[in-house]
Amino acid sequence: MEIQDYKQYPHTILPETTHDEFARQEFVKSLKLHLATNVSPKNQVIYNQVVKPKFEKNHGRFPKDRHEVRQEMNQQPYYRLWSSMLRSSQEMMWSSCQIPVARQLKKLIAASKQDGVKLGSLKLNPDLEIPKYHSAVDIHCQPGAYHTEVCEDDVAAGAIYDSAVYVYAMGRMGPFNNDMGASQCEYIKAEYPDLQPKRILDLGCAVGHSTLPYVDAFPDAEIYAIDVAAPMLRYAHTRAESLGKKVHFSQQNAEKLDFEDGYFDLIVSHIFLHETSAKALRNSLSECYRLLSDGGLMVHSETPPYKDMDEYEAFILDWDTYNNNEPFWGYIHDLDIDDMVSEAGFNPSKNFEALVPSAYEAAEAKRTYLFQGGDFGGGGIWYLWGCRK
Amino acid sequence: MAVELPKHAKGERPYFFDDPAVDKLLAMLLAMAGELSVLRDRHDTLERIIEKKGLITRQEIEAYEPDKDAIAERDAKREEYLNQILRIVDVEISGMGKNDLSNEWQAVIDRVSEEA
Repeated sequence: MEIQDYKQYPHTILPETTHDEFARQEFVKSLKLHLATNVSPKNQVIYNQVVKPKFEKNHGRFPKDRHEVRQEMNQQPYYRLWSSMLRSSQEMMWSSCQIPVARQLKKLIAASKQDGVKLGSLKLNPDLEIPKYHSAVDIHCQPGAYHTEVCEDDVAAGAIYDSAVYVYAMGRMGPFNNDMGASQCEYIKAEYPDLQPKRILDLGCAVGHSTLPYVDAFPDAEIYAIDVAAPMLRYAHTRAESLGKKVHFSQQNAEKLDFEDGYFDLIVSHIFLHETSAKALRNSLSECYRLLSDGGLMVHSETPPYKDMDEYEAFILDWDTYNNNEPFWGYIHDLDIDDMVSEAGFNPSKNFEALVPSAYEAAEAKRTYLFQGGDFGGGGIWYLWGCRK
Repeated sequence: MAVELPKHAKGERPYFFDDPAVDKLLAMLLAMAGELSVLRDRHDTLERIIEKKGLITRQEIEAYEPDKDAIAERDAKREEYLNQILRIVDVEISGMGKNDLSNEWQAVIDRVSEEA
């Protein structure tokens, strides 16, 4: 099958869409791009020309942080309208991706159970407890979130997520939704040419979008990936097999993994840690330390932290904390990397932060070059941080 | 297989206008715009194919009268269409719009951010 840069690659288990189902998803993609490009940036005009001068008049100073900006912006009709539309676009995205999956779930489950090529493996643990930070609210508003199962051998959440990520990123992560993993691989190979990992672990892999690039980037390594959600892993395994990538998936919590000490030379995650909690973050980083070999490396990608942003930029990127069911988003964007790695046992002098250009150049024309709520991947740059053991 | 996927995300839904009805109406409007866009795409598909094959003329489309079956099929499709557009209406009633921990979103943030 030829890879087309304007649509998702149709691997075995990608949900098929009818004419209208596809058109509905395409509309959401267009709506999101319109909001990100034409509507969202004008919030800054409102802030600079209305909110800031008014605040200064009333308080004798400018708003000092994103929280003060949020309080003021919450009163602005323009911001309310944009926020309301962005929240709706998110709900429409899930709905538009859910419809085809509900229709063909039986077929998708059958595809996941077919014994095809056996490259990698899948190990599920039905007794694994779904952590509170996933069960309390449905992260980024996916109804049922990652883990909910509506029937036996369910793959619905994975199938919905695969299509929705393409719509969410407006196709700007490529036909395999793999831009984050691919960009991170390029960075690691360029910056750490001496690192020849024998085993690599991807934490919170979901359907493996970011996992698969490691298979090609490090052909001599064994690739492992974990997640707490069974519907994601079933789907991820079938997807990886269909794409000819050997990955060992297992259902585990990153806070407590069943691998031996020092088992991995490279541990990675991609927009995973912000979907946990303060305690889970600490536990997961401690596990990274335990599981890395001497000289091993951990690399995590997120959107950039707030410390290098002004109060408006931090506020607009913080939209998801309050409005998109991402309760841990704000907290993690304020964290100090030295503190995080030290607490986990790492030597903070070996940590790093980097802004890495997207490996997917075909999306250039659709980028806004901004970091703002509802515009994931618009910046064309990924923020990476990590530490070497 | 009759499966029902959850319609609403668990967690208190934010409303941005003083009256949540404004947000809901806006959500409906966007959904309407979406469904209209779907239709326009379909129309475009049809016109392109028809044009290519030289099969029918515009006058034939204008003169078309649906029969009993076509009417019934269209009724059923319209019901499905309305379910899409009015999705937001039962967000609270479904019970999924409520938060287990607390109705306050700040409590959710505090909970995941709290010290061990």
